[in-house]
Amino acid sequence: MRVASDIGGTFTDLAYLDEETGAVGFAKASTTPGHLADGVLATLDRARLSADKTRFFVHGSTVVINALTERKGARTALLTTKGFRDVLEIGRANRPDIYNLYYTKPKPFVPRYLRLEIRERMNYRGQVLEPLKEEDVLAALEIYRREGVEAVAVCFLHAYANPAHEKRCLEIIRQHAPELALSASHELSREWREYERTNTAVLNSYVKPTVEHYLTELEERLRAQGMPPVYHVMQSNGGTATFARGKAAPIYAVESGPVAGVIGAVQVGRLIGEENLITFDVGGTTAKTSLVKGGQPRITTEYKIGWNRGYAGYPILAPTIDIVEIGAGGGSIAWIDEAGSLHIGPQSAGADPGPACYGKGGDHPTVTDANVMVGRLNPDYFLGGEIALDLEQTCRVLAPIAYRFRCTLEEAAMGIIRLADASMINAIQLVSVRRGHDPRDFVLIAFGGGGAMHAPALARKLRVKKVVVPTEPGVFSAWGMLMADLRQDLIRTAIRRTDRMEPEELATFFQDMETQAGEALMAQGVAPERIYFRRHADMRYKGQEHTVKVPIPDGPLTAVTLREIEKRFHDLHHQAYTFRLDAPIELVNYHVTAFGAVDKAEIGRVRGGSLAQAHKDRRGVYFDDFGLCQTDIYERELLPVGTPISGPAVVEEPTSTTVIFPDQVFTRDEYGFLHIEMQESPA
Amino acid sequence: MTDPFTLEIIREQLIAAAEESFIALGRSSQSPIIYEVLDYACAITDHNGDIIAQANGVPGFLGTLTFAVKAILEKFPPEEMVPGDVFMNNDPYRGGGNHLSDVALIAPIFYEGTLVAFAVNKAHWTEVGGMAAGSWTTDSTEIYQEGLQFPAIRLYEGGRIIPSLVDLIAANVRTPEATLGDMFAGVASLRRAEKRVMEICRQYGLAAVQESIRTGLDQGEILARKALAALPKGEYFAEEWMDDDGLTDTPVYVCVKVTISDDEFIADFTGSSPQVPGPINCTRTRLQSACRTIFKAITDPSTPVNDGWFRPVKIICPEGTVFTAQRPAPVSTYWETGAYAVDLLWQALFPVLPDRLTAGHHLSVCGTLIAGFNEEGERFILVEPQAGGWGAGATKDGENGLVPVGDGETYVIPVEVCETRYPILVEQYSFNETSAGHGRYRGGLGLIRDYRLLAEEAQLTTTFGRHKYPPWGANGGGHGSLNGVEVFTPGREEPVLWKGKIARYVLKKGDLARLITAVGGGYGHPHQRPVEEVIADVKNGYVSLQTAVEIYGVELDPATLTPLNIRRQFDVPVESDVSGSGR
Repeated sequence: MRVASDIGGTFTDLAYLDEETGAVGFAKASTTPGHLADGVLATLDRARLSADKTRFFVHGSTVVINALTERKGARTALLTTKGFRDVLEIGRANRPDIYNLYYTKPKPFVPRYLRLEIRERMNYRGQVLEPLKEEDVLAALEIYRREGVEAVAVCFLHAYANPAHEKRCLEIIRQHAPELALSASHELSREWREYERTNTAVLNSYVKPTVEHYLTELEERLRAQGMPPVYHVMQSNGGTATFARGKAAPIYAVESGPVAGVIGAVQVGRLIGEENLITFDVGGTTAKTSLVKGGQPRITTEYKIGWNRGYAGYPILAPTIDIVEIGAGGGSIAWIDEAGSLHIGPQSAGADPGPACYGKGGDHPTVTDANVMVGRLNPDYFLGGEIALDLEQTCRVLAPIAYRFRCTLEEAAMGIIRLADASMINAIQLVSVRRGHDPRDFVLIAFGGGGAMHAPALARKLRVKKVVVPTEPGVFSAWGMLMADLRQDLIRTAIRRTDRMEPEELATFFQDMETQAGEALMAQGVAPERIYFRRHADMRYKGQEHTVKVPIPDGPLTAVTLREIEKRFHDLHHQAYTFRLDAPIELVNYHVTAFGAVDKAEIGRVRGGSLAQAHKDRRGVYFDDFGLCQTDIYERELLPVGTPISGPAVVEEPTSTTVIFPDQVFTRDEYGFLHIEMQESPA
Repeated sequence: MTDPFTLEIIREQLIAAAEESFIALGRSSQSPIIYEVLDYACAITDHNGDIIAQANGVPGFLGTLTFAVKAILEKFPPEEMVPGDVFMNNDPYRGGGNHLSDVALIAPIFYEGTLVAFAVNKAHWTEVGGMAAGSWTTDSTEIYQEGLQFPAIRLYEGGRIIPSLVDLIAANVRTPEATLGDMFAGVASLRRAEKRVMEICRQYGLAAVQESIRTGLDQGEILARKALAALPKGEYFAEEWMDDDGLTDTPVYVCVKVTISDDEFIADFTGSSPQVPGPINCTRTRLQSACRTIFKAITDPSTPVNDGWFRPVKIICPEGTVFTAQRPAPVSTYWETGAYAVDLLWQALFPVLPDRLTAGHHLSVCGTLIAGFNEEGERFILVEPQAGGWGAGATKDGENGLVPVGDGETYVIPVEVCETRYPILVEQYSFNETSAGHGRYRGGLGLIRDYRLLAEEAQLTTTFGRHKYPPWGANGGGHGSLNGVEVFTPGREEPVLWKGKIARYVLKKGDLARLITAVGGGYGHPHQRPVEEVIADVKNGYVSLQTAVEIYGVELDPATLTPLNIRRQFDVPVESDVSGSGR
């Protein structure tokens, strides 16, 4: 049995896969803040799982991100190179909100009096300019003891090139103050840029005691249930790591929820034989999208916590699946500005009071209200009928918009939906066409509560190959975690010109990193024959700052491969920026990903019903330029397998609704996934 | 007539197209001034050159790209343009230029034979030739010393580049590869915008796009007028002295009168100094963006803008002043004076808009340029702005270490990147703890950045304004400290130099340049700062024990930081004469 648990702010979701039968099941319980293990155990209980049969347990949670945004971590201190303790507070000194002359910078997680300097220095080549003064470390520990410090981060200049001083510093601290939670920058990142690396180490230390505490509790409770020690945490890079690793580097798990959806999409793609995917996840307050090429999600280390257009946020140099997020979800509010134009979001009605139609006092029209108004959402079948939606409230809040534009309530609602769709299309174009990818080569995988409601409309504009809606799109993150492999990413900075570099040096870089990454996986119990690697390098033309990620061939690296790598770079640069230069090329970062493949059992096939069984209703639904259409409504569970059904149609299930346009056709496949394509236009 | 929702969707897509071309330019450029400082902008204008959508990295280009396009239209009527054309323009006096380093590239966008729009971008190229490496310096006396001039000329003819022009540029700049690399990045960005606009036309039809553009400009104006109506009506004044023009020591007088009425925002700079012999002069283009920056900051900083927004803004200033210099006045460090235009408006309006504006900040971009050859014999040019202390506000302390108003989404260069790229060892990057900017809310701390030269020799050029006149405090808060550069040579304790503007000073191996930026102005009387905040300041080293007593009236036990004695008189103005040293 494989078991995945996704702890969200409101609900804890459980997904499991019985490897013998291929059956997949789900359970849901309320999240129990303070003792998250309670919620997890409640879902196990509801699913009637016998814990002792579990062969793989993985979980993701919002613990890390919440500890950071609510500032509920440990009292943390920083040790850094003499002359540079203010780097953490200076940051990059940027003003993202450029016309705001009353801007407030992000506040550092360590106050100045706990940022202490150590005499030591490396240069950019990793050569020692000044040896580590060990007495400075001891003096700092004395101060930390007095100040009641609980966690310490260590970041020295150029430690990415030579971590010797950081390593020695850790030894001294472990020896003299073993009670301190500890992280050094080189353990988390071997990339240059001192502010970003320092911040990464600081945030890791800051959340470490909290994460250690809750993972230990969860571990004990699961063990008490008889579950063997197969516990893993979901990581932001889309892989999993053991609890031990999760406790040591909690900052790697900061985005565990959203990335699980991407991994789930990759698995859906594998089952249906598609490698190029655009993921599309619509929740209550945002829509998220990400691009998967050749079965590989795109990884970035330019992730920032709390970043938005008006705020610099906190950078983390942890490998993270690149996800673009916009403020357009089901709860996003539609509003009219002073010049009379309509806008959507980023304000959201959230879960409480929620959209006006929830009848819980929501006073603003939301995207969900608009979907109810035009007949796409069934007011009697929301969450399987758990909440009866109040159409009167929806009419009430839509009236001002209809009045402003002198149109009907339905037209106002369609206006809201089309605007929301337009911003979702923008986000998807940002990860696809604007990076030089042709959407026609991609399949759109739609999930989250609202993904399937909007995706077919977007597909018509984006001209993607087709839309696929996986089963249980509402709890897709947990499903995705079931499918994740163990994964370790290592990235190292060393600037070299391709025309002056010895291929042996390049080979050594990758071999060293592969050895290290492989050992890390073996330490987590992965058998050597199950480990495989992928190599990338970040490259640029000399003089540029930003880089392009280039896949590096496996096997031995020779002068010939080096030329091949140059060629790949030219091509990828041209794809991204439409020009190439006759300038020297630099390698900047070397990136190794090690995977520990986990057995993935066959997913069971569904037995379909019939069209007659599935057909539950017929009602009027508005479809953009088609206007009002009498539309067949189907219950997803009961649909036949393999039968193409023409739109217009609405497919309902308890946690989601799929809206198929009159010019589209859909099929339920043997896994229960819905495939939506454009109808062949009559010749 | 197109429905209102479609018009809005088209507008959003045009903004997205401008932003997309902005990102493409930054990510493929070879100049740190473009990819780190983000000293560039991309816009889409209508067929007349009025801006529909613009993406900026710094405020300085706000709404100025329109002049670059209009200058092209004056010279090349639309019937002489064909798809694929690209024009270039960097004329500071007419044609929307700031200084010669800021080069505008312009491409007409046709849809089915109709001129619908222009794609335009303007970026600070690191090298355009002239008397000094990096093309800007503090002692030029004529525009001819400041680099290549591109007076509204054609670069591409129907999609084909004019090769002789490329050769001409390559022969006249010190870093032809990087300069041409930036040019191609700029053209690629135009093409990207062009492609998107054509897609939008294809999807919604030409008529809908044109209607969306027209109504969008009008809506910008409506929003601006609503915001204007909420501003306090009246006349407001400010005057200031700028340090000098870089050639002499003489201070330069500048002033403004702002009039806010029901339907206009008028900035009148009459009375400001005539243009000066040194290169601090700016032209009307920069003056315009200064006024727009403040107008935007006090009305609505976050909404995307178009040219309609600025219809209520009127600027009065005679020709030939330091703000409206005429050919051939030097302008290569125009941003100093441009920043003062912003600061004058800021000071004038501060008393009535304390929720939108802070007290004075370090203001100067503190432009720093170090040029030479590394040990491999390759030329290097380090060009960067410095961050400094911001002023305190009516409800908060000033920010410690933030780029000035002339910069925006601008990133200071990491120490590790700097040491890798240039033959320089950075020996400290820390807060400037000079005692200044005291108040109920403290001014933010400036920064100190130490550069030790590892190469045999290099030239140092800097322009650190507010070297003589510190950032202003407000409502009884103390003024800030001074920006400036110190140079040390090995074996001597005292600096051999302490200046604001430096032109091509020769650093030898082992010399150290200390770049110091100002502490911002304070707000309110220091005796009103709560004792516990003073204790925290001392604990963090933002304020010394001595300053706590002398300025804040709080005597603390040095060991425990518990208050021993509190002596506060709320009617005594603060003495902050210590701020003069600035070190």
